[in-house]
Amino acid sequence: MASEAEVRGQVVVGAPVPAPRESRGWLWSTLVGLGILALIGILAPLAGDFGVLRMWTLIVMYIVLAQGWNFIGGFVGYAAFGNVVFFGIGAYSVGIFLLNGKPFLLGVAAGFVAAGLFAFLLGLPVLRLRGHYFAIATLGIAEALGEFIAAKDIGGPGGEVSLTPPGGGLGVFTLFFYAFLGLAVLTLLGTTLLTRSRFGYALVAIRENEEAAESLGIATYWYKVGAFVLSALPTAIAGGLWAYWSLGFEPGGEGGAFDVNISVAMVLMTFLGGAGTIVGPVLGAIIIEWLDLQTTLSATQIHGPLLGLLIVLVTLFLPQGLIRLVQELVPGASGTGERLSWSAQLRRGMRRVRRFIAANGV
Amino acid sequence: MSDASSPPTVSDTQPALLELTNVTKRFGGLPAVDALSFHVRQGEVLGIIGPNGAGKSTLIGLIGGAITPTTGTIRYDGRDIGGLAPHQRAHAGIARTFQITQPFVGLDVRENVVVGALFGRRGLSRAAAVRVADEVLTRVHLIHKAQNKGDQLTVADRKRLEMARALATSPRLLLLDEVMAGLTSTEIEEAVALIREINRSGVTVLVVEHIMKAIKGVSDRILVLHHGRKIAEDLPNAVLSDPRVIEAYLGERYARGQQSAQTLKELEGEII
Amino acid sequence: MALASVAVGQIVVNFLLVGCFYAALGVGFSLVWGIMNIVNLAHGALLIVGAYVSYWLFTQVHIDPFVAIFLTMIVLFAVGWVIQYLIINRVIRGPLLVTFMLTFGLDLLITNLVQLFFTGNIRSINVPYANVAVTIGETRIPFVNVAVALVAVGLTVALAQFLTRTRTGNAILATGMDSDAARLMGISVRRTYALTFALGAALAGAAGAMLAMTLQFQPVDSGKYTLYAFVIVALGGLGTPYGALAGGFVFSLAETVAAYIPGIGVSLEIAVAFAVLVLVLILRPNGILGKAYYS
Repeated sequence: MASEAEVRGQVVVGAPVPAPRESRGWLWSTLVGLGILALIGILAPLAGDFGVLRMWTLIVMYIVLAQGWNFIGGFVGYAAFGNVVFFGIGAYSVGIFLLNGKPFLLGVAAGFVAAGLFAFLLGLPVLRLRGHYFAIATLGIAEALGEFIAAKDIGGPGGEVSLTPPGGGLGVFTLFFYAFLGLAVLTLLGTTLLTRSRFGYALVAIRENEEAAESLGIATYWYKVGAFVLSALPTAIAGGLWAYWSLGFEPGGEGGAFDVNISVAMVLMTFLGGAGTIVGPVLGAIIIEWLDLQTTLSATQIHGPLLGLLIVLVTLFLPQGLIRLVQELVPGASGTGERLSWSAQLRRGMRRVRRFIAANGV
Repeated sequence: MSDASSPPTVSDTQPALLELTNVTKRFGGLPAVDALSFHVRQGEVLGIIGPNGAGKSTLIGLIGGAITPTTGTIRYDGRDIGGLAPHQRAHAGIARTFQITQPFVGLDVRENVVVGALFGRRGLSRAAAVRVADEVLTRVHLIHKAQNKGDQLTVADRKRLEMARALATSPRLLLLDEVMAGLTSTEIEEAVALIREINRSGVTVLVVEHIMKAIKGVSDRILVLHHGRKIAEDLPNAVLSDPRVIEAYLGERYARGQQSAQTLKELEGEII
Repeated sequence: MALASVAVGQIVVNFLLVGCFYAALGVGFSLVWGIMNIVNLAHGALLIVGAYVSYWLFTQVHIDPFVAIFLTMIVLFAVGWVIQYLIINRVIRGPLLVTFMLTFGLDLLITNLVQLFFTGNIRSINVPYANVAVTIGETRIPFVNVAVALVAVGLTVALAQFLTRTRTGNAILATGMDSDAARLMGISVRRTYALTFALGAALAGAAGAMLAMTLQFQPVDSGKYTLYAFVIVALGGLGTPYGALAGGFVFSLAETVAAYIPGIGVSLEIAVAFAVLVLVLILRPNGILGKAYYS
C-alpha cells in the first residue's frame, strides 16, 4: 500500500519512466516458422516418393490458406466462413487461362488481381455486417459462386475443368511443391511485418474492441476491407497453383474448388495453432492436414465423422490455440522474463496448468 | 495546490469550441436527447449532470460521432461535423471515454494507450507513440501497471485507462463519460485533480456525471439534463440551488421546501 | 390466357404450402439464435436426423408419418438436450467463432454418422394417401402438403403461445433477454438453455419429418437447409416465432418468382437464397418483423 502511494506521489513531479522492454517474441516466432518450412522443404523431396511429396504439397498449401485466413479471422477476429471463394477464383482463373491456351503464370496473376478486386467489392457491403450475419454472408457467397459456375458451365459442362498435364513427372511436381513453399514463406514474412506495423495494430485493436478503436481514430471499416483483401491474395495464388497441380476440378462438392470444407479447414487450423499469431497457422495446418490425409487413406469410411469430432474437440478444449497453451504452460515464453528457482517454476507451472484447465472449462 | 481548490474561470469572450443547435435524438419515437442547444467555450470545463436516463451517454455518443442525431447540428471549431465518422472526429481532436469501460482486453495497458497515440490527432510513429503512452500513463498514475492486461484492473484503474487512451490521441476536446462513477471519495478527489490538470494543459473538457459532488468541484459551468432536455445551465452554485434541479433529482417533495443550505446539504448527501 | 391463370393458381398454392414448411424449418433455428445467441450450424443435420427417424418409423415400424412427426420430435428433443447439456453449454459464453466452429463440427459429425449408417442414397416417404388431392380447375392441392403446412403453422403458433403464456416459456424469454438477471431471479440458466436447444432440435426434427413426406432427402442436404433456415430467420427477424412464418413466406415467394426469371431457373437455388439474404441485410438489418431479440 505504502509503495503504491509513493509511486503516485512521485509521478506528479515526474518520476523516471521505466523504459518499455520490447518483447522479442515476434522474432522467435518467425524464426521457428521459417525453420519448420525449411525443414519441410529439405526433407519432403528427399524421399523421392510421389505420395510423400503429394502429402506435403497439400500440407504446405493449407499452411498458406490458414495464414491467409489468419489476416481477417485471427487479426481482425471476423468470422469469415467463405474464404474458399478466393481459392476458387484463383483456381478458375488459371483453369480458364490454360483452357484458352494462355500462359499459366498469367492465369495466376489474373486470379490474384480478380480475387483482390472481388474481396474489395464484396468487403464493402459484408464488412458492414457483424457477427453471425457476416459469417453467413461470406459462407453464402462462396456457395453461391460455386453454384453459379456450375450452372453457367464455366470452364466445362457443370463447371468441371480438366487440364492437360504439364509433363515432366516428379520434377514438375517438385517445382509445384517449392512454389507452394515459397508462397508460405512470403506469407509468413508478411504476417511478421503485419504484427510490427501500424496496420497490424489497427486490426488487433478492432478485434479487441471495434467501438473503442473507432473512437481512437482508427478508420475501422477501411482497415477491415484492407485485411479482407490481404487475406484473399495468398489464397488466390494457392488456388491458382492448386488448379494446375490437380489437373482437374469441379466447382462444388467435396474436393471442389469452392468446397466449404476448405473454408472450415482454414478456420480450424488457425484456431488449433493460435489465431492472430505468427506461427500458429503453420502448426495448425501441419497437424490437421496430416491427420486428415492419414484418415482419408486408412479410414475412408470414418474420415468424415472423425473430422467433425476433431473440430468439436479442438473448439471445446483448445479454443485459445496451441501457441497460447505453450505461453501459459512455459514460464518466460510470454515475455515476463523473471528469474525463478526450478522448484518455484514448477509450482508456478502447476498453478498455470490448473488455471488453464479451469479457464477452458475442461 | 491552492489554486486547485477554486476552479479556473474562463472568460465569456472565449470562442465556442463546440456548439450544439437544436439537437434531437429519438430511439424508436422516444427522444433520448430533445431539442438540446448549448456550447462549450475554448478552454473551459463544462459539467453535465442529470439522473439516470437523462440522455447523458447519448449526448457523448452524438458529439463523438457514434450516434447520428435525428435532427439538429453539431459544430466543432467553427465547422459542421455532422457528416464525420467517429475516427474523423478523433483526428479533428475530439476524444471520448466510455461509461462502461471498453479496454482492449487482449492488450496490456501500455499497448492500449499506444493505439490512441498511433491513430489519434497526431498519428505518431511507433517509437513516438510508446513514449507518449508512457508519459500519459505517468500523468494518470497508471504507469506501474503498464504491463497488466486490459481486464486485470480495478474499476478506478479501468477509468484511468479510459482517460489515458483518450489523452494519448492529444485531443483538443475531451469528453468524459462518468469517469468518476463507482470510485471511492479519495479516488474521486484524485480524478478531480487530474481533470483540472488536463484542463490547465489547454484541453477543453466536457464532463458527464450523475454525482453532483464530483462535478461541482471541477466545472466552470454546469448544465442539467432531465429527460433529454436542458433544465438549467449556470455556474455550479447557482445550478445547485435551482428548484427545478432539486426537483429533477429528488422529486417535488424537496422542491416545495425552499432551497435552503440545509436542503442543499441533503441533496449532496443523497446523490453521492 | 386461360392457361396462364391456371398456372398462376398452381404457383400460388405451391408458394403458400412451401412457405409454411419453411416456417417449420426456421422456427427452431430462430428460437435457439434468439434466446442463446447461437447460430446453430447443426440445425440442418438435426433436420436430416429427423427425416431419417420418421423414415425409419414409417418403413420399419409402419407408423403413419403424421404420428411419426410427434415421435420424431420426442427423439430429437432428447438428442438436443444431450447436445446442449454436454457440449454446447461449455462454450455458451465463448466468442462467436467458437460456437460457430463447434456447431459446424457437430453438423459434420452428425451428417457423416447418418451417412455411415443409412448410406448417402436419396430417400423419401411414399405415404399410401400420396395421391389424395383436391383439384380446382387445373390447380391441384395435394392433401399431404396441406396437412404438413397446417402442422407447420400449428407448431409455430404453439411455440409462440408456450413462450408467452406459460411459466417455463416466460423463463426462456427472460433468460434470452438477460441471463444474469434471470439467474438472480432463481431461473436455472443451464437447464433453460438445455430446454431451449432441445425445443429447437425437436422443431428441426419435425421439419425433417415433414421434409421426408413431401420431398426427397439425403445426408448432404444438411448444409443447404441450415443456410435456408438462416435466410428465413434473417428475413423474418428474431422477434417472435411468427418472424419465421413471415420469413418463410417471403423466402418461398422469392424462390417461386426467381424460378420464372429467365436465366436463373431452379439450378441456382442457393444463389437465390443468398441474394435475397444480402438484399434484406442491407435494406432491413432487423428483418421484416424487426425486433432484435425475443421479447
